[in-house]
Amino acid sequence: MSDFLIHVISVSCIYGILALSLNLQAGFTGLMNFGLIAMFGCGVYGAGLVHRFGLPVALGPALALILAVLMGLFLARLGRRLSTDYWGIATLSIAEIARIFATNLEPLTGGAQGISGLPLLFSGLRPWDGAARLALFAVILGVAWLICERLVRSNFGLGMKLIREEPQLARALGYDIDRIRSTVMVIASVIAAVAGVLYAHYLSFVGPELLLAPETFLIWAMVIIGGIANNRGVIAGAFAMQFMMAYVPFVKDYFALPSDFVAAARLMLSGGVILGFLLLRPQGIFPERVGGRHDH
Amino acid sequence: MKKMIRVLAATSVLATALPAQADVVIGAVLPLSGVNANGGEDQRRGIELAVAQINEAGGVLGEPLKVIYEDSGNVPQRAIDAARKLVSVDGVALVIGEYSSGITIPLGQYLVAEGVPHLNPASTSGLVRGIGATSFSMVGLDNVSTEFAAKDVLDRGWKRVAVLAMNNAFGQGVANEFGAHFAQLGGEVTTTIMYTSGQTTYRRELQQAESTEPDAYVFTAYGADGGLMMQEAYELGLQEDPWYSILITMHNADTPAEFKTGLIGMDVDYTADDTSYKAAYEEAYGQSFQSAWSGYAHDTTLFAAETIERAGSTDRPAVLSAIAELGAEGFTGVTGEIKLDADGQRMWQPYQKLKVEGDALVSHE
Repeated sequence: MSDFLIHVISVSCIYGILALSLNLQAGFTGLMNFGLIAMFGCGVYGAGLVHRFGLPVALGPALALILAVLMGLFLARLGRRLSTDYWGIATLSIAEIARIFATNLEPLTGGAQGISGLPLLFSGLRPWDGAARLALFAVILGVAWLICERLVRSNFGLGMKLIREEPQLARALGYDIDRIRSTVMVIASVIAAVAGVLYAHYLSFVGPELLLAPETFLIWAMVIIGGIANNRGVIAGAFAMQFMMAYVPFVKDYFALPSDFVAAARLMLSGGVILGFLLLRPQGIFPERVGGRHDH
Repeated sequence: MKKMIRVLAATSVLATALPAQADVVIGAVLPLSGVNANGGEDQRRGIELAVAQINEAGGVLGEPLKVIYEDSGNVPQRAIDAARKLVSVDGVALVIGEYSSGITIPLGQYLVAEGVPHLNPASTSGLVRGIGATSFSMVGLDNVSTEFAAKDVLDRGWKRVAVLAMNNAFGQGVANEFGAHFAQLGGEVTTTIMYTSGQTTYRRELQQAESTEPDAYVFTAYGADGGLMMQEAYELGLQEDPWYSILITMHNADTPAEFKTGLIGMDVDYTADDTSYKAAYEEAYGQSFQSAWSGYAHDTTLFAAETIERAGSTDRPAVLSAIAELGAEGFTGVTGEIKLDADGQRMWQPYQKLKVEGDALVSHE
């Protein structure tokens, strides 16, 4: 039982990091990124490619970060002339294009068969490897949270929120919108890619299935439930969503329900919970703190 | 936050309060939702029939055999979630799974890392071989099936063929392996077209294949894709040349008779000598086989039960050595003899050459 619990918390930590990344973009800066999974993909494929070509594992994060910075800059530049909603659609298509590349660039990415056999983190520490991974993930989640908190409380963070609320006013006050957007996208992309590297070495498999669009919407659901533009909230949202998903099979066993219940229940949970929150509590469990403290 | 912790604690308690297990329990991770849900359901049927058969004959170790099914949703992470639950909470003796290679591989690697026996009932990608020591395949991998197909195609005198396969782990494996075997035997693949499954038309792909002027078209396709592809090939006049389908049962039921006149192909032979399984399936589900995979899932379950019986307990190391022993000796199920090589992969399995007659498939030697 405890092994399963450790697993669910570990994966929740990874999703927590992803939720923080999305929150920086969508929550604080108003950048409706529907292609977050591509940034995550930079991480998983960074780790995967390094393994595939027999390079040292330590190069994985480095490659992931390079890919992530490029992806962040590309998405930020792409959006300069588009309004937010059109930009959101563009990000969705970029993510799909990335997935199709991963499926078809067989000599490079291993194609649909993916890359398997990535080294599992701390596998030498058995039977404590699960706990060691959890500790690492929790520390990285903590660091990501600190970075995000400091960022949104700084002057730069004020600029981010101003862009979200009143882009014209921000421009009139002399904020360089393009620069702020690019910076946010790069930081968020790097955070998502870190989650990707951790995930790749946790699952020990990298494949195009990891980059499917519904995964982005799962992260959106976490952000909406937890409370958009609240860093603590989105982490709580990630944990709540992961636990709900992971515990559905137990409900099935307990009530001896048919096995297809699990799939239906998960779909209803992610869809229903988003709808419920949007209608009844759009601010999420932990609403944004307006006028909070700022460090200058 | 406090409230949420309480809710989580309550669900944890609920989960640990599961009824005590007197039965012999094994786990199955199958795609019961998502794009492969039909295949997964067919696998589940095969397992159910095997369980009924085993329990009718007195169960395993004197106890009834129980299978806990978990849905993978066709997502690797969900499959591993499910396996973790089966292993660490339900304490299953072994895990059967999954359907597509892209999920079977990470699932198997997780099980290998935990030292849990893994039986692969369906995935045929060559990469399955590398999963690890405690993973075993109850199905011949692509290298076996495509070699059979390549030989069959060449024997019919078609030296230049165009290959069409769906762009996933299975399709890429088939296309690569078929091409390698075909070239080795002296044939030439004029073009290999990887199409995306689920399209509303395949005219572009078909015309691209036609432009290379092959002697014949070799393809593999899932249900609705195959039906549409055959219809469009007919409409484009491409059926003047022969068509050869690898694993023809996957789409035969979805292809109307008028669009598949003269179609030939091959598939795994799941009714080798014994028709009792076919009869049991038809009686239980009121229809003929939906795919070739129920038979494999069925045999995998029989194989699992037999190894636990031999091991004398559900103790994992004992079960593992019993699998190795039975695999070396050979075990006969409805899909023929299951004999494993040094890597724990099925060495050989019977295939059948099939041709379409009206709407039905008949043996064609």
